[in-house]
Amino acid sequence: MSAEAIAIVAAAQTPSYRAYNNTEPALIMRVVNEILSETKLDRHDIDFTIAGSCDYLSGLPFAFVANVDGFGAWPPVYESHVEMDGAFALFEAWVRLSVGDLDFALVAGSGKSSPGTPREIFPLQTDPYYGAPLGLDPVSTAGLQGRALIDAGRASERDFAEVVSRSRRDGMSNPHAQVTADVSADFLLDEPYYAAPLRRHDLPPISDGAAAVLLARGDRARELTDNPVWIRGIDHRIESNQLGLRDLATSVSTRLAAESLGLKSGPVDVAELCVRYSPEEIVLRQALELGDETRINPSGGPLCGHPVMATGLVRVIEVAQRIRAGDARRGVAHAASGPALQQNLLCVLEGEN
Amino acid sequence: MSQLPPVTYDIEYPYTRTTGPVVGAFLTALRDGRILASRCGDRVICPPVESDPETGESIPVDLVEVGPMGTIQNWTWIEEPSSKHPFQQPFAFALVLLDGADTPICHAVRASGMEAMSTGMRVRAQWREERASAITDVYFVPEADAEEQYVAPGEGEVELTEHLISLSFQEDLQPHRERYSRGLLEGRFVGQRSPASGKVYIPSKGYDPIERVLMSESDDVDLPHTGTVVSYTIITPVQYYGQKETEPYIRASILLDGADQPLGQQDIREIAPEDFRAGLRVRAIFRSEAERSVEGMDNRWGSTGNVVERWEPTGEPDVPFAEISEHAY
Repeated sequence: MSAEAIAIVAAAQTPSYRAYNNTEPALIMRVVNEILSETKLDRHDIDFTIAGSCDYLSGLPFAFVANVDGFGAWPPVYESHVEMDGAFALFEAWVRLSVGDLDFALVAGSGKSSPGTPREIFPLQTDPYYGAPLGLDPVSTAGLQGRALIDAGRASERDFAEVVSRSRRDGMSNPHAQVTADVSADFLLDEPYYAAPLRRHDLPPISDGAAAVLLARGDRARELTDNPVWIRGIDHRIESNQLGLRDLATSVSTRLAAESLGLKSGPVDVAELCVRYSPEEIVLRQALELGDETRINPSGGPLCGHPVMATGLVRVIEVAQRIRAGDARRGVAHAASGPALQQNLLCVLEGEN
Repeated sequence: MSQLPPVTYDIEYPYTRTTGPVVGAFLTALRDGRILASRCGDRVICPPVESDPETGESIPVDLVEVGPMGTIQNWTWIEEPSSKHPFQQPFAFALVLLDGADTPICHAVRASGMEAMSTGMRVRAQWREERASAITDVYFVPEADAEEQYVAPGEGEVELTEHLISLSFQEDLQPHRERYSRGLLEGRFVGQRSPASGKVYIPSKGYDPIERVLMSESDDVDLPHTGTVVSYTIITPVQYYGQKETEPYIRASILLDGADQPLGQQDIREIAPEDFRAGLRVRAIFRSEAERSVEGMDNRWGSTGNVVERWEPTGEPDVPFAEISEHAY
């Protein structure tokens, strides 16, 4: 691998929409055009493109092929795709650029959850013999994760409500957020249970949206921007697909990823965590050993907008933008996949100086 | 003008999976009223596994019976079940540690209400009257609610398990599709001309896919009803799941005059295959206004709805292949 560092030099995201009444390629086109316009690059300057999306979410076999339209389909692009969040596409792009023969990679994540029923679609990513026929959905597994935290004495229902209260309030200053509110934990705790011990507010909204980032290698990054945000490391780990073989109150995969990246070897000014269900923040905060010195989800996080397949990449963008703005020097972005934080990806980002 | 109704569509994938030596034995026993677990080192793992969860190493098939009693280790009460859940009234998903096992199985518990659930409570397996050689053959109830059951053993070993994936989607017609559909109902072919390249797309996706330009209503153009067959195929239907056709039929791509993209998937029933050819000049004959329908129109495919009654030859000379080769594929 080349020793040259790789940086995020531009990023764009659409708002989270409850239902975006246009195509998914149009969502991608908007963020791709914004990045090309900002960097004054031509599409043909981009050496490698990669997208993260989910055909089941669109309900259209080979939907990911049509998504290539969003990048500009002719002449053909050197293209890859992951059936995962764009953050995992970012990982592949980072590895690809690390080979050292290409300069630029464009990464996108996109999804439209609004036409379908996510609670019926997501069980299909669980074990096909033991999980999927039960319709074991992410809301239910988040409920189990919440109970595991409570029974382990690591959190209370009030802690969950506090996460929601703070997140939805933070979302009020995020122009891309979909669901925001200035609401107290006491108020939230008065709501009825939905998947006890969780209430509806502990869940993310259903969203449509897209996000994209442009990566550049070494000096090419410095040529394009005065303040590249360097990727210091990415680590992705997976736990068992059997819930009964995991301790849901902790995240071993997240802890190991953080250790391998040396996350605690420097200050962590900001963390954007893929908290779709409020208990996940507590599991992640504890696994990452984040204290009061770290600002967690200043964007409001996925509880304010959850464009599935872009949600994780948006975490990367939110950290990068805070570093570019000078509000943070070093931070971590987190993306997740699978039931109850089965898979976790961490990306450590750092500014130029 | 009122909005056309939302479009709905379903996708179904009927999966039949081989089960292998471990899952097969587990599902066979489940069908017959017993629950099996794997012995893995000094642990008993339920549901059974083919490899050691810690190391990933294959383990010998060594299955032992566990349950039917167990203890709730963790649970969540599902107030509003999804249509894919094992019960359509409120129930619990739970981690159930079956007697004799060291790891819990994630499964459904039917109870009278959330108040009836607690961590540490005792539950018992119950079998469904009709079993399908699937994980859903069993469920759990609080010990006090359990009934004695006689489960008649089935025949043979379970080597396959079926899972029908069925999903429904609904969305509004997107603005460009709405205008295209409305045009069809009015007897018009409405395309879009790219402001960047001048190329005309029908049906438009709402953007120019080559120049990456989003288009709007001001880019709409009307196209004539005449065009040229640029490509076609004669399809002999294979009787796959969901197939509705039985006889060979023609599907053609027709390039309307002035368009840069052919209308695909046009149904040709009234021109004999031996008379059909690329280069043939054709005209769309629309149904009468009262008969036109765009039911089934969606945001995805190049359909012309149930609007064009047929395509008939215009009698003009064929267009030479060189002039249409760009569109033949």
